[in-house]
Amino acid sequence: MSDVLLENPWARKAITSLGLPLPVPERLLRASSAWEERPLADEPVAFGAAPGSALVAVVARTLTAAGANPFVLGDTAAFKAPGEAYGRPAKPLALDPVPADLRPRGVVFDASAIESPEGLRALYDFFHPLVPALARSGRLVVLGRARGSTSSPEAAAAQQALEGFIKSMGRELGKRGSTANLLLVEKGAEERLEAPLRWLLSRRSAFVTGQVLEVGLTAKGTATPAWTRPLEGKVALVTGAARGIGAATAQLLADEGAHVVCLDRPADDEAVSQVARKLKGSVLLADVSDDGAAAAIAKALKEKHGGVDIVVHNAGITRDKTLARMSSELWDQTLNINLRAITRITAALEKGVLRDGGRVICLSSIAGIAGNMGQSNYAASKAGVIGYVQALAPALGKRGITVNAIAPGFIETRLTDAIPMMVREVARRLSNLGQGGLPRDVGDAITFLASPGALGVTGRVLRVCGGSYVGA
Amino acid sequence: MATKVKKARRAVVVGGMRTPFVKAFAEYLTLDTIALGTLASQGLLEKLNLSRQHIQSVVWGGVVLPGLAPNLAREIALDLKLPASAEGMTATRACASGLQAVTLAAAAIERGEADVVLCGGSDSTSNAEVKLPQKVVHALAPLAFGKASPGDVLGVLAQLMPLSEILPKMPRIAERTTGEVMGEAAEKMAVRNEISRRAQDELALASHHRAAAAISSGRFDDEVVPVQTPEGKWVHRDQLVRATTSLEKLEALKPVFSKTGTVTAGNASPLTDGAAAVLLMSEEAAKAHGYTPLAAFASWAYTGVDPKDQVLLGPALAMPLALERAGLTLEQMDLVDMHEAFAAQVLSVLKALESPGFAKTRLGRDAPVGRVPREKLNVHGGSIAIGHPFGATGARMVTTMSNELHRTGKTHALLGICAAGGLGAAAVLERI
Repeated sequence: MSDVLLENPWARKAITSLGLPLPVPERLLRASSAWEERPLADEPVAFGAAPGSALVAVVARTLTAAGANPFVLGDTAAFKAPGEAYGRPAKPLALDPVPADLRPRGVVFDASAIESPEGLRALYDFFHPLVPALARSGRLVVLGRARGSTSSPEAAAAQQALEGFIKSMGRELGKRGSTANLLLVEKGAEERLEAPLRWLLSRRSAFVTGQVLEVGLTAKGTATPAWTRPLEGKVALVTGAARGIGAATAQLLADEGAHVVCLDRPADDEAVSQVARKLKGSVLLADVSDDGAAAAIAKALKEKHGGVDIVVHNAGITRDKTLARMSSELWDQTLNINLRAITRITAALEKGVLRDGGRVICLSSIAGIAGNMGQSNYAASKAGVIGYVQALAPALGKRGITVNAIAPGFIETRLTDAIPMMVREVARRLSNLGQGGLPRDVGDAITFLASPGALGVTGRVLRVCGGSYVGA
Repeated sequence: MATKVKKARRAVVVGGMRTPFVKAFAEYLTLDTIALGTLASQGLLEKLNLSRQHIQSVVWGGVVLPGLAPNLAREIALDLKLPASAEGMTATRACASGLQAVTLAAAAIERGEADVVLCGGSDSTSNAEVKLPQKVVHALAPLAFGKASPGDVLGVLAQLMPLSEILPKMPRIAERTTGEVMGEAAEKMAVRNEISRRAQDELALASHHRAAAAISSGRFDDEVVPVQTPEGKWVHRDQLVRATTSLEKLEALKPVFSKTGTVTAGNASPLTDGAAAVLLMSEEAAKAHGYTPLAAFASWAYTGVDPKDQVLLGPALAMPLALERAGLTLEQMDLVDMHEAFAAQVLSVLKALESPGFAKTRLGRDAPVGRVPREKLNVHGGSIAIGHPFGATGARMVTTMSNELHRTGKTHALLGICAAGGLGAAAVLERI
């Protein structure tokens, strides 16, 4: 993986000084350590809300506890108590004009109470002066109401408008490395907003932009988030852990305290053992496409670890050919590993091995959303994953288990390195951020979904694609 | 008295005495921390007219420890000519070291390990050892400890380059984890908790005026023993207290840590040399020796906050914890004595104690801890005026408050100390 425009300062300089019509991608700010108590320490964050919003209290608590210095439009009453508790008193936010020295890291608007097209004007009024002030690698987050939580067709229209808004903002902000996302909160799930909001504002969501994430009540239990080492005492299974996204994810899960069981094919013994040794985890050698694999994995997890809390179905392959030229083996291999293995292993773990409060995270792909030339087998398997998590989530929700899919876009791995150079270069640039993501970007999203605070997110597809133009 | 835990044995404060506190690198330049500790202890034993044979143990607090004799307590015991059996241990807990030594002594008595314990703390910033960089130590080791060939000598010279890396570094009172100097931390807390320069200067002014009054009225004569320096000079009273300072003078000072800041030399505690000693006995021993106990500990508490956040906020958590352990409320406190590292820090802690939001979120309580009326706070001044020899401050506060309870007939005093590393210390004293 080498992105000349990101890594070579001469190339960057040449393009800008020659005035070439090529966008030079922004180097994204990413987290450099494990989860912190205050990921937003001393960062200014601007906040505004439409009148009558029900989310202000939880936003106030989230921002101050995360260490942000809140600048609040209008009434600051909700910020008083948390501001005093954490020594982060809210300051009034001036928009006309925004003071020159205010460069917010995040701008958050609670639009959940907007129920009419006229009400949407509040979005314009808030963001129009603020967007130019947003810091590089900044975060724009809009809060709305979940589908089905709206009271009238008019309100539904207003809420759906938010989606078009943030997707456009993602496009506009991408060249500065900033992201824009929408969090939709189901009525009654307000308390579950804290962890997703904190994550979206942090440096751990650097490659997530233009996305809509719903926070709901499907999974039962209380979200009692731990902000540091959130996975302490948990056992995590990561399939395809020898390299790429799997290895990065295993490391990130281990950094947060999980014992990671690194699974890969017996042929990759050496690579997967190295990963496991580095993060002080265990090795489990199995070919997930074998008929007996699911039972063997379940047995090993039960016997050696007493069960499992986090399952990351990451193992996957591509076998690209247009359908007319594709052999049945290529079709079978791909479907077998990318989809059938997931359903079979999950089914084997579901009873008696996967513990209550567990987390299942399946790797999908933007190809599964948009389809792709020469990838009918791959896209079918990855779309299937989406159907699977959507159906499984309600079934496992009563046990406090969440089931989600992650759909990576262009991530710099062995898989994308194999793409012909010109195609690769185009694919990299066709996104809001104009660059490929790193394996850890996907790992950061998986780690978030695996954390206790992510209880409200289940049955969802989270794209980690840098705002890819494909399928969006 | 309504303490939650009824103790089978109780440790009581029989008396306390300290040296006058003096600016660092001034009168006490040739008195190291052991000498200062010995002088304070001597003064205390003379005042109480107690035979040295009765002392069973010494517990001493210190922060800047002499490298070659870090167990101050034992050195003080030896210099005081206590019986050889009077063992000594030294406690170090940054600025809470003095209180730590006293509560360790109380715990030992209450556990039945001893009946008479001399405790306290001292520090001599003037005698802080300037450290050689580790690079120099490692480079010179073969020459100093081994047989060096001429080649080795040349090798050492090469290793010592560049020279800038081997110059001794000025000691800084900085957090190890954050590299932040305490004053910068106080500056940050002033901003975050919205503490004005005016409020800080007013607190500093009260500190100076109250301490000056305690000196001029003779109130401190009870607990300060004059010291004769090796040069023959007598020091009778605290040297840093300014009776004549005014708000105008304090307001004229420039901020030290940030151009736009509010923390000045006037509203921060100065680098200080000094020592404070306290004598604790079991209640029975005090009776047997014919002493009137002044006070006893209803409780104490030590806790910590994240030093990367608000490093000096610890007392806001430790004080409620000590009150809870004593089964008492802030309202029931007749006196509150807080170590004044910085006025901004004291005011930040007071603000947190008053805040319902702080109580709910940080302490899990429905009601705020309460307001500390200024007339109850630091009635005889605090560290800003009197000075702050790191290890001595806790013992000074125990002495002043024990005397105050005894003299006034009031019942309870709450102590609060912030310390480096994000530590908070607190104790509740009750009159006997």
